[in-house]
Amino acid sequence: MARRYDSRTTIFSPEGRLHQVEYAMKAINHAGVCIGILATDGIVLAAEKKNVSQLLEPGRQSEKMYKIDDHVAVAVAGITADANILVNRSRLIAQRHYFTYQEPITVEALVQEICDVKQGYTQYGGLRPFGVSFLYAGWDKYHGFQLYQSDPSGNFGGWKATAIGANDQAATSILKTDYSTDISVEKAIDLCVKVLSKTMDSTNLSSEKLELATLTKSADDKLVLTVLTRRQVDDRLKQVAPENKEEGSTSAASVPATNTTS
Amino acid sequence: MSILQYNGGAVVVMTGKKCVAIASDLRFGVQQQTLTTDFPKVYELSPKCFVGLTGLVSDTQTLWNTLKFRVNMYKLRENREMKPSVCANLLSTMLYEKRFGPWFVEPVVCGLEGPDDEPFISAMDLIGAPLLAKDCVLAGTCTESLYGMCESLYKPDMSPDELFETVSQALLASNNRDAFSGWGAIVHIITPEKVITKELKSRQD
Repeated sequence: MARRYDSRTTIFSPEGRLHQVEYAMKAINHAGVCIGILATDGIVLAAEKKNVSQLLEPGRQSEKMYKIDDHVAVAVAGITADANILVNRSRLIAQRHYFTYQEPITVEALVQEICDVKQGYTQYGGLRPFGVSFLYAGWDKYHGFQLYQSDPSGNFGGWKATAIGANDQAATSILKTDYSTDISVEKAIDLCVKVLSKTMDSTNLSSEKLELATLTKSADDKLVLTVLTRRQVDDRLKQVAPENKEEGSTSAASVPATNTTS
Repeated sequence: MSILQYNGGAVVVMTGKKCVAIASDLRFGVQQQTLTTDFPKVYELSPKCFVGLTGLVSDTQTLWNTLKFRVNMYKLRENREMKPSVCANLLSTMLYEKRFGPWFVEPVVCGLEGPDDEPFISAMDLIGAPLLAKDCVLAGTCTESLYGMCESLYKPDMSPDELFETVSQALLASNNRDAFSGWGAIVHIITPEKVITKELKSRQD
């Protein structure tokens, strides 16, 4: 029944659903999980990398995390090629804003603009929606550190802690119990590692599959985006490892990802 | 009078041994009226790439904002700083895009590039014709006297301190005789380790 109404993105089904948008969101469930946590002194983004073949040429930029501007970074879950388009768009949006107003774009304004682009693909043009969800971590002088999440429908929300990608419900339920509003960046990194170890389908959590980044303010009040080195990630994993061995993994089996999704 | 002399100003760039210096005056005026004396014409793209913009201030400011836009996008996409020689080419292209309605700006580009921190300097006219020199480049309202000063004072392979002295003397002597530039100067010496910035006092007229 639904089949008749889902080949065109821009029409409703009789039940009032946009099937293409829903299918786009399903595409994201195959992608490596991303977690974002808002701490008192910054934001932590963590991501599971799916493309970790030994044949892969290193040195290329991350497939999961991108810098949009000096004050905003995103973590990606979904079709990488689609994500690249939107990341480039958001970089242009941020620069255009800076050019016009000579001040950095506020995080919410940037998220809103990208979501407006995504929404356009659900209403006109007859083109399929973007199969990407983002976690945006940013700082501006009006609202401080902020964490946002957006999905293919163009909907977005501000969060204290959230997850997107495979097993995101398992991740958010752990975050619900373990997150507290006075958490520090240091503790938030540990929490990310803990959540990832429980939701990732690999039994062996290594720095090869895990990417961690933090957005904080340095001692002289400058915004710093740090991507942890593999060494630093390994150290963190060692710290959290003893706990994980006791509690065990609770992730469900998921469909293996193809190379298009990460 | 020429539109390029409406606001006045001067910039000079010299190369030394593994260092470059870029200096400009500080005057901002509208024809004969001086409005402020704290207006440098040197802008930093990165610790090893500086741009000097002389000409109509309205255009230099807008061109700078546009350049910053392009360089920021480059940095995000390529994940590295833009080399001075690449920046000079970008500026040249940007200027020629307005061939029949040009930016009234005459820029100079300088910096250190490559693993050996080779000095790079370049100047161009308002429609982007590039000049690749080895010793010095300059732009502004007192270029004739600046050329004379640089020609006589310059010698190759100067140390940062010698370079500072030479650039300062060349700029100050030219600015002091030019009605449209002066009111102090700012000098940046770019070395592989750091950038040394000094302000100079000149004839305050």
